[in-house]
Amino acid sequence: MALLRAEEEAKVRDWFAELEHPVELLVAVGPEETPQAGARDVDFGAEMVRVCEGLAELGDGVTCRVEQKPEGFPRFPAVSIRPDGRDAGVRYDGLPWGYELGSLVGAIVEAGRAESSLRPDSLATLAELERDLALDVFVTPT
Amino acid sequence: MLLAYKLAYASERVTANAIEANEFPQLAQEMQVWAVPRIVVDGEPRWDGAVPEPEFLRRVLAT
Repeated sequence: MALLRAEEEAKVRDWFAELEHPVELLVAVGPEETPQAGARDVDFGAEMVRVCEGLAELGDGVTCRVEQKPEGFPRFPAVSIRPDGRDAGVRYDGLPWGYELGSLVGAIVEAGRAESSLRPDSLATLAELERDLALDVFVTPT
Repeated sequence: MLLAYKLAYASERVTANAIEANEFPQLAQEMQVWAVPRIVVDGEPRWDGAVPEPEFLRRVLAT
C-alpha cells in the first residue's frame, strides 16, 4: 500500500526539495508494549521502518537509519527527527498513522529549515528560557 | 504536535515527543489521556486540544 496519495506525495516531494539542511530519521526498534485490542496483528516496528524509508525516498535531503534499541529511546518503535544528524530532542513514539503522518512530515520540514518558522516574539521568549522543558503530546492516528 | 516540535528545534532547552496513545496504553492511562492532543509538560498533564502559538507558549511556560 502506498504511503501517500499521488497528490500528497507530489506536495511532500516539493517540500523536501526545499530543505536547507539534511534531515536524518533515526528509527529505533525493539521490544513493544501490547497495544490495545484490534491492533495486535500489526508489526509496528516493520511498519515504522516502511514509513520512514518511504519518506526518505521522497527527498535527497532525507535519510533513514534503523537501529535496534539505541540509547535514549524509552519506547519502541520510535523515530528521532535529526537536523544534520544531530539529536535535537524531537521524537515520535509509535507509528505515525493517518493524520499524524503529517506531523512527521512537518517535523522533517521544520528540521530542514535554516531558520525557525516560529513567530519572532515566540523566539524572543524562548531565548530567555532558563530551564529545561520536556513536552509530551499524546496523539491518536485519526 | 508541530508547535511542540518547532519549540524544540528553536531551543536546546526544549524536548518534544509525540506519543501514540493506542500503542502505549499504560502510559496514556497514567497521563489520563481521554482526549487528544493531550499536552504533558515536565511529566504533568496540562491540557487537551490545539491552541494558537502564543497561547501554547504561554501555557507551557506557566509554572
